[in-house]
Amino acid sequence: MRPELNEISLIDLWLLRQLPEAEAQAVEARILVDEAFAEKVEAQRVCHRLIHQYGRRQERFRLETIYRQLLQEAGFAQQLNTIFT
Amino acid sequence: MSIPSEDPIIQLYRDSFPDVARMIRRKGGTLEEAKDAFHDALLIYLEKEKAGRLQLHGSPKAYLVGTARICWLRARGATVSLPDAFDAAEPAEGGVEEREQSVRASLVRSGKKCLELLKAFYYDHCSMQDIAGRFGFNGTRSATVQKYKCLEKVRKEIKSNNEYAS
Repeated sequence: MRPELNEISLIDLWLLRQLPEAEAQAVEARILVDEAFAEKVEAQRVCHRLIHQYGRRQERFRLETIYRQLLQEAGFAQQLNTIFT
Repeated sequence: MSIPSEDPIIQLYRDSFPDVARMIRRKGGTLEEAKDAFHDALLIYLEKEKAGRLQLHGSPKAYLVGTARICWLRARGATVSLPDAFDAAEPAEGGVEEREQSVRASLVRSGKKCLELLKAFYYDHCSMQDIAGRFGFNGTRSATVQKYKCLEKVRKEIKSNNEYAS
């Protein structure tokens, strides 16, 4: 891999807490002294958060679809009607 | 009535939601509130299951009813802890949420395939072998390189978003 991707890999492993202790400490030390590196780490942390939010939105959409699908089943819809009337 | 080959989540939904709805109704809630609380609970269940961190002490239905109860109480302002401090129902800070929504929208437009690959790894916890097969890579090595290229792309998108520069 080219150096930029190796760095992304290193940051990723650190964010996922998958680096050996010594390497993790080296990353943490670099974050303190290398501002550009620290910015990359932060941007990658945001990436992880966005991906998680994206996944969760997709999952919510899927659940809404299932709900609407089940409402088409007479037995399911009737149960809910009975509960809320 | 359940169909053998259907998605297990549909079966779980059909089997569990009426119990959640009944419980929320007894507490004075609406159908919409019951559905929202149930979806929050199902998200917790699904995310924990994908991450291999789901610990059931009873049936999945019992877990969902109990968790939905907590989600409903929290939605009404009660301070009740969710399992393992799950943050599904936590609203993000207004400004941050707006900025991230803007980046997310441009990401979806410009790199849906990358986002899907990253979601498969980071959210669905799929193995690189599964991802290689699903996205048509020759092997895990190619899939891993592409994963980092996608991360690089997303990171650049974040950097180029002026809102984040400040």
